[in-house]
Amino acid sequence: MSKSTAAANGHSLWQKMPKANAELFALTYGTLVTELVRDYESTEDINEQLEKMGYSIGVRCVDEFLAKADQAGMVIPPCRAFAETAEVLAKTGFRMFLGVSAEVQMISDSSFSLLIYENPLSLFVELPSDPKWKDIKYSNLYCGILRGSLEQVNLRVECTMVKDVLQGDDVNEIRVDLKEVLVDGAGEEYDEE
Amino acid sequence: MVFLSLFIVNKSGGLIHHRPLGPNAPQIGTNEWLRIGSTFHSLHAIAAEASPLRLPGNKNPYGADDGIEEIHAGGLELRCFQTRTDVKFVITAEPGTSDMEYVLKEIYVLYTDCALKDPFYELEMPIRCELFTQAVDNLIEHVEKNGPSKR
Repeated sequence: MSKSTAAANGHSLWQKMPKANAELFALTYGTLVTELVRDYESTEDINEQLEKMGYSIGVRCVDEFLAKADQAGMVIPPCRAFAETAEVLAKTGFRMFLGVSAEVQMISDSSFSLLIYENPLSLFVELPSDPKWKDIKYSNLYCGILRGSLEQVNLRVECTMVKDVLQGDDVNEIRVDLKEVLVDGAGEEYDEE
Repeated sequence: MVFLSLFIVNKSGGLIHHRPLGPNAPQIGTNEWLRIGSTFHSLHAIAAEASPLRLPGNKNPYGADDGIEEIHAGGLELRCFQTRTDVKFVITAEPGTSDMEYVLKEIYVLYTDCALKDPFYELEMPIRCELFTQAVDNLIEHVEKNGPSKR
């Protein structure tokens, strides 16, 4: 699917979605993260919890994406290459749910980076300058969401936040690596001889 | 147009929802429904494998995998819609019913809005959401009275 159709689809799906107050959204996420900080000792645990939460969100929102796109008459054909998946995610998926598009940077046939310039989750956030916050991945929710939603369409991926505006970088970058294309079949014993 | 029943099968073949949609729907016990669900799931998979026309990558360009899409029988028409996430929505109706495709797609949207957004609903488990069943009933009532309307 061409880049401009993906973007146009994303925009019109975004128009149809019911909206929430961006500040409420950012503040709710912020309190969620601070609660996790209180509950867990290490930043690894916090990041892991955020990723798990994102995973639960991701497995559910992929169906919504496919159903509403279908309802709007858009054709989202099965991706023939991982690059197409990346474009659909960045331009249509992100735009539909968050109102912001991401840029795609292909690294190889089975991995890409998503660059997010405006991050609705971190609207008012400033990380304290204490060195223990160096490793916290504030927006790790996105990694879980991507992993969950791609798993539902049979792509096993690993996502990590490699750059974070809150940590001083100029852009938020999420690296997505394709590990396996899951195939459910009848099993090897049913293969034709 | 008279709709008969709806059933939804998850990606492992288990039945997650069944519902009569009209007064003519057959009275089938839950165990029978479970059997129907898994039989249909297996037949769907076999049909995809047995298809003489194997499309490249075993995927047709605008839809999920090949598999059973329609069954026309003497007293019944069945339509199946398999989502890209391997959930199958199957609806049966009396012959001559139109708009089954439309109804299936709308039910998919209702599934995403009512069942998936329920925080207590676990994926792949039977759907026990009042909101979903109510919305499906309203949809069927609306379609039977007025024909399809764009949302």
